[in-house]
Amino acid sequence: MDVRQLLQRIPTWAAPLVAAVVVILFPYLGIQVTVQRQVILVCILTLLVSGLNLSLGYAGELALGQAAVYAGGAYVSGYLGAHGHTDLLVQLIASAAAALVIGLITGIPGLRLGSWSLGMVSFFLVLLVPDFLNIFSTQTGGTLGLAGIAPASLFGSQLSPRSFYIAVTVLTALWLLVLRNLVTSRHGTAFRVLRESPVLASSMGISVFRMKLSAYAIGALPAGIAGCLFANLDHYLSPDSFGFDLVVSILAASILGGSASVYGAVVGATILQLGPLESTSFQKYALVIYGALLLIGGVVLSLGLAGLIRSLWVRVERRWLPRPPITTYVGEQLPSIEGATLSVDHLVKAFGGNKVLQDVSLEAKPGQVTALIGPNGSGKTTLLNMICGYYRLDGGAIRLGDRPSPHVPYKVARAGVARTFQTPSIPEGITVAEAVRSGHYATKHTSFLSAVFRLPGYRRARSIDIEEARRVLALVGLEELENDEAASLPLGTRRLLEVARSLVSSPKVLLLDEAASGLDEDEVERLADLIRRIAASGGTVVLVEHNFRLVLSLADQIYVLARGSILASGTPAEIEVHPDVMTEYLGMKVPAADSLLSTAGIDGGKDD
Amino acid sequence: MTVIWSGLTLGAIYGLVALGYNIVFVTSNVFNFAHAQLLTLGTFIAFWATVTLKLPTVLVFLLCAVIVAAVAVVEERIAIRPVRGTEGQLVTTVGFLTLLEGVTQLIWGGQPLQVPFFGSEKVLSVFGGRVFPVELMLMGALVVFAAIFVAVSRGTMLGIAMLAVSEDREAALMRGINVRAMAIGAFAVSGALAGLLGPVVGPETFAVVSLGSSLALKGFVAMAIGGFGSGPGALIGGITVGLIESESGRYLGESYSNLMVFTALLAVMLLRPTGLFGHARERVV
Repeated sequence: MDVRQLLQRIPTWAAPLVAAVVVILFPYLGIQVTVQRQVILVCILTLLVSGLNLSLGYAGELALGQAAVYAGGAYVSGYLGAHGHTDLLVQLIASAAAALVIGLITGIPGLRLGSWSLGMVSFFLVLLVPDFLNIFSTQTGGTLGLAGIAPASLFGSQLSPRSFYIAVTVLTALWLLVLRNLVTSRHGTAFRVLRESPVLASSMGISVFRMKLSAYAIGALPAGIAGCLFANLDHYLSPDSFGFDLVVSILAASILGGSASVYGAVVGATILQLGPLESTSFQKYALVIYGALLLIGGVVLSLGLAGLIRSLWVRVERRWLPRPPITTYVGEQLPSIEGATLSVDHLVKAFGGNKVLQDVSLEAKPGQVTALIGPNGSGKTTLLNMICGYYRLDGGAIRLGDRPSPHVPYKVARAGVARTFQTPSIPEGITVAEAVRSGHYATKHTSFLSAVFRLPGYRRARSIDIEEARRVLALVGLEELENDEAASLPLGTRRLLEVARSLVSSPKVLLLDEAASGLDEDEVERLADLIRRIAASGGTVVLVEHNFRLVLSLADQIYVLARGSILASGTPAEIEVHPDVMTEYLGMKVPAADSLLSTAGIDGGKDD
Repeated sequence: MTVIWSGLTLGAIYGLVALGYNIVFVTSNVFNFAHAQLLTLGTFIAFWATVTLKLPTVLVFLLCAVIVAAVAVVEERIAIRPVRGTEGQLVTTVGFLTLLEGVTQLIWGGQPLQVPFFGSEKVLSVFGGRVFPVELMLMGALVVFAAIFVAVSRGTMLGIAMLAVSEDREAALMRGINVRAMAIGAFAVSGALAGLLGPVVGPETFAVVSLGSSLALKGFVAMAIGGFGSGPGALIGGITVGLIESESGRYLGESYSNLMVFTALLAVMLLRPTGLFGHARERVV
């Protein structure tokens, strides 16, 4: 067989597995004890960094309190070890539980506030570590440190340094496996959606609250485990080990290795552990080096070393390896859709004193295309956002079918309302197929555990995800791009991708926000055809659009919005000749308008 | 009363850091985490200029302002401009903070250095509490600079342009605002402010490298409590944090002061995420 084909057949997990086995077997390969100690320290730092990678790199949440969680885990295990509870498993569970609690508490502000507010709160938590240790100095030894931690045991027998080494490396390898399974699963894609934009996530039916909590909790776990291992390494804990320097080195390792990667954590941790953290001659320059690494990592290597390797690999793949054949999707591309009537009654919305919508009513029926047109600033997008549940209603009601529409965005999405955005919102680092599958995430619930262990329930959900994604990709005609990076596609293709993503959940109501802008003629034709087919299959389509010709050719019912209220509504034939619409929206002069103006004593004058 | 005075002094320093954050935040929506380290650098330069070079007071202030402003401009150039997005900027500003801390430590060492105050060092008794002139000067500086900040941001075209940039960078560009110059200007001004404060903060805190990271966080809390981008907010927020810290340190014990500040931060964030003087923005898409 061709070498290149053979190369392609090697699964991606083979290399990390071999590396892990070799490292685990170090004691039997005659590797020195001092090196083994270094490996243990690298493993501990890897665990800390990988927790940060999950929350920062994948979920985009600046939960930077790993050092505090680490201290929590270490002192819990240390306290147990000093009081005769030496079983490593017991300590691990206790440390992990402590980590969960600390992780969730620090996460609380992040639930309401984004980005750096959470970052600062988690930094602050690290500042509190010495204070906490002082307050509980009878248990923790305060500034003097916690001594007298008995060596760890497993099932009643004390662990020798060699078996402790094996325990540490095996645990780290297992954790990396867990993380890998998680981030390559549908949950991993959902985290990336959250990172791209919480608004996008909720529009796809993903509960932002739940995802954030999960990110904080799962991101804290490895730090707790690392703490437990650290407590059992030297049998002594000192508050100095958990300072601001540690925060910076974890962050630097994460950025250097690549935050959005699993194995990048190992690379970053290894470099920092063997570099500035260890050699005493560097001690003086340690801060300078950390700072420089963070600057370089943040500015130049935005995806870290892992990102660098990945992009090199993609090049190799393109250049040397045959592209995997893409099988065309056979089967019904568009089964019948059960649409629902969307009705908006006397809706009112004001931002401060600015009345954006006043007494707006409209109805979109299944099997029809309902278009919403109007000049910029007339309130079209605001109306869509209100339908999706992003804004509070100041008056009126929105109903979906025979029920009032929920006011929480992700619940609206789960009730069957899907949308596209004026500016396409596509997460980075995922393929076209994954991007579409993410739209299917909320239709079927699978637990994190079933994804980690790849249980049958997870496998079923995943195969449905894949099948449905292929169906809609065939429908919009993007089958061939399945394995391409989604965020790097041209604008028109990204719009079609968004349409595909919103269709994959078989929505009752589809809201398209200026879906045709930026498309070339071919793509507009394809989109128009697609919209007709969706409506013909029974779906409810609401189209916000500036392309007047397209609207006239597609819509069954048109609503014209001007300055926050409905100016006119009717069929395309009625709207096309409606005098108010022509003056207000198209800026045309019509005899009626002219005479109206002249009777008011104003010269009809210029078109503006 | 002495505890209150020392709380007000601490609060003044935090408020001044928060004000520095605000200057940059209002113009470019960037949270310059390294600002407190710039202030720390200011204290070291104040030490160098007064003790090593023995310069007259006016020159000390000038030197501090110029050098720190220059460092801040360098920061804007290497750590802010090439980076887009809050996460990236948080990483690079933390990086710059660390780098600055490292360099400062290499030059001046890790030991605290006493910066002599240019004014009287005689302790005063005001409202039954003991207070040093330098402490009164810090409080005065906070009030004056907060007032200037409010006057500029509300009353001048420059302030309105700053708001415009912060609200919508691209729209501001379209209106002919030199966004880049505004960003550099904001860093230079906040740097100069940090530098000017060096000779005043130094005598109070000593010049010590680790000052940066703790001031950075307390300054952030002051800003969060007062409201992001608000001048009066920085004033009130700073004083609140300072008073909480010194009062809880006095009555609950040293170990509780940071904890109480943290609790206050959590409470404000949960009850009023925009801070006392901040404005909510409802628009999302």
